[in-house]
Amino acid sequence: MAGAGGGGCPAGGNDLQWCFSQVKGAIDEDVAEADIISTVEFNYSGDLLATGDKGGRVVIFQREQENKSRPHSRGEYNVYSTFQSHEPEFDYLKSLEIEEKINKIRWLPQQNAAHFLLSTNDKTIKLWKISERDKRAEGYNLKDEDGRLRDPFRITALRVPVLKPMDLMVEASPRRVFANAHTYHVNSISVNSDHETYLSADDLRINLWHLEITDRSFNIVDIKPANMEELTEVITAAEFHPHQCNVFVYSSSKGTIRLCDMRSSALCDRHSKFFEEPEDPSSRSFFSEIISSISDVKFSHSGRYMMTRDYLSVKVWDLNMESRPVETHQVHEYLRSKLCSLYENDCIFDKFECCWNGSDSAVMTGSYNNFFRMFDRNARRDVTLEASRENSKPRASLKPRKVCTGGKRKKDEISVDSLDFNKKILHTAWHPTENIIAVAATNNLYIFQDKIN
Amino acid sequence: MEFKLEAHRIVSISLGKIYNSRGQRGGIKLHKNLLVSLVLRSARQVYLSDPCPGLYLAGSPVPPPQPGEPAAGPPAGWGEPPPPAARAAWPEPETPPERPAGPDARRAVDAEPAAPGAGDTLQGGEAAATAEAAWRRAEVPRAAAAGGAGDPAGGADVCPEGPRAAHRPCACPPGGEAGPGALSCAPRPAKDERPVPPPGCPRKRGAAAGDGPADCPAPGSSPLKKPRRHPEEPAGGAAADEEEMETGNVANLISIFGSSFSGLLRKSPAGGREEAEAEESGPEAAEPGQICCDQPVLRDINPWSTAIVAF
Repeated sequence: MAGAGGGGCPAGGNDLQWCFSQVKGAIDEDVAEADIISTVEFNYSGDLLATGDKGGRVVIFQREQENKSRPHSRGEYNVYSTFQSHEPEFDYLKSLEIEEKINKIRWLPQQNAAHFLLSTNDKTIKLWKISERDKRAEGYNLKDEDGRLRDPFRITALRVPVLKPMDLMVEASPRRVFANAHTYHVNSISVNSDHETYLSADDLRINLWHLEITDRSFNIVDIKPANMEELTEVITAAEFHPHQCNVFVYSSSKGTIRLCDMRSSALCDRHSKFFEEPEDPSSRSFFSEIISSISDVKFSHSGRYMMTRDYLSVKVWDLNMESRPVETHQVHEYLRSKLCSLYENDCIFDKFECCWNGSDSAVMTGSYNNFFRMFDRNARRDVTLEASRENSKPRASLKPRKVCTGGKRKKDEISVDSLDFNKKILHTAWHPTENIIAVAATNNLYIFQDKIN
Repeated sequence: MEFKLEAHRIVSISLGKIYNSRGQRGGIKLHKNLLVSLVLRSARQVYLSDPCPGLYLAGSPVPPPQPGEPAAGPPAGWGEPPPPAARAAWPEPETPPERPAGPDARRAVDAEPAAPGAGDTLQGGEAAATAEAAWRRAEVPRAAAAGGAGDPAGGADVCPEGPRAAHRPCACPPGGEAGPGALSCAPRPAKDERPVPPPGCPRKRGAAAGDGPADCPAPGSSPLKKPRRHPEEPAGGAAADEEEMETGNVANLISIFGSSFSGLLRKSPAGGREEAEAEESGPEAAEPGQICCDQPVLRDINPWSTAIVAF
């Protein structure tokens, strides 16, 4: 595969020894709903790591410069900025509360000293500017140092304010608010490779925005049927191609992916490519449709592949082959016999995300019991790791975990029935160039790095 | 039989989920409810397609067992008795309000302690093999299942008007008592069961149908209720109490969901439509004409349909 990804990145997956690096968040057993992390995203350089939570807050971590005296210790991520991105709102017309939960964060490529990111809740997308201020002006004429206005008549001389250094302050300010464009719940946003436009997708529609224009957007996909009773599928995720600014994909609740080319028509209801794997009739059950619903779709960095996540598996698709995926990785196949229970406790509706490593040689996704899985595509090996406080000693290696599916349980294995389904890892992120991963476990953010062997 | 119980249980759970979704923060989630409706449809198919002779055994005023689902008359739930043409499709004469076959059958299952396993708590586990068999069976045209229609107990006593029943005493006692086991698996949906009002009710239901989503009654909305069309069916004190309790819940359910979701009703065995409706969909008036379809067995969807209804 073309190594268009983060050049020089060592192969991910099992060749590495993953070690605990940091954990962020409260240790308290009682987790406040608002603190539950709902999205995790590295920026383009990997120096910044943003998380959004159910309370509408965004916390940005910045990687410290590496310590020259200890060249082998990687930079740590420390809090850089925290701000309230979205507040709960109420739609009076429909008598609906709009949740403030941050569904997605996407960084914009950095173009100047400031950082920009898009954050969205169910209805509104906001462009935030995060900038540093380390100087301030002193010596104003019309106001004194406390900010009180001076009486103009008392001023006898004029002076030029001078800039004096101050403690670093990181400010986040909303630069654009893209509102009132979505009737249904926004599930995805994706910045285009042209760095000028982005798309936002809800259950039935996808809109194309220009970053500078907030009062209108183009609707490029609309799958709402004329008669809502004929609805059979919804859009579950959408993403722009990493290099071709006219191409995007969207996945559906029926397990299909459509690739659209915006050059072909203004309204991309007709796909250019249609990816679907034929269903295996022998595995049909009441819940076949639910588990085939795609919860996440991600292009590889190279742009040649895309990965989809459904309830039980991760599939890698070659964009040139629509008939079936080129790889299928089972995440937790042992859950297939438990689907009824998972339906009852709503776990079957969990939307797991997935991510590529910088070189596209490995993919990662989350599971239950705070387990997450990595698949090395080249070596065709996979590993299950756990994000837990018990394994949180500095630079402690993570031990591979194993789920016992039946028969005798070996030592260190955990049986399926012992899995904690309340501890789910839905959001993970991989540093764009290095082997650093961020794993969100409910209200805690774990950061793991590879140990240089 | 096992998978039938499983299907029944899944149906109950699904209804409960839809009911609960109403109160969730952030509004009703279209995606999740669409998936739940798909499961409902699948479970319903399995439930209906499996001819199970033991359904109506034992127990109290239960109609003699019928092979397959009783073909209930057109769902009265939409407020109007089905047009005569639709009714003609049924082998047995039906008197309104008629109970959809599905719920009736289920109800019969629940009500029959003697039925193997019916009185027991529904098996929680997956019966993979049987479920799969049932699954394949679901593909068989449901007309076969519908052939066994004419269950005299066909849900006359199931009250399609959830809200209505809640607010006016329903003269018709619930037919066939739900075995506790049937309800225990999903307490919430169980409460949603509603008795079918006696034939005298349709008029009121009809009025309700025109009232818009909030008042749309759920035809035969009580899947767990035994199909009873005999108004004098002794309900028993406990049954009546249970009825009222469930009535209250279903009333809320109905009023919450309003109308429209007739996609389930119209769904044909070969291909179906899922129903889900987003917030912006306006209330769809329940049209009896839409509900009645050629396949009598589809009418049993009514209980689900109204319950599942619009968002």
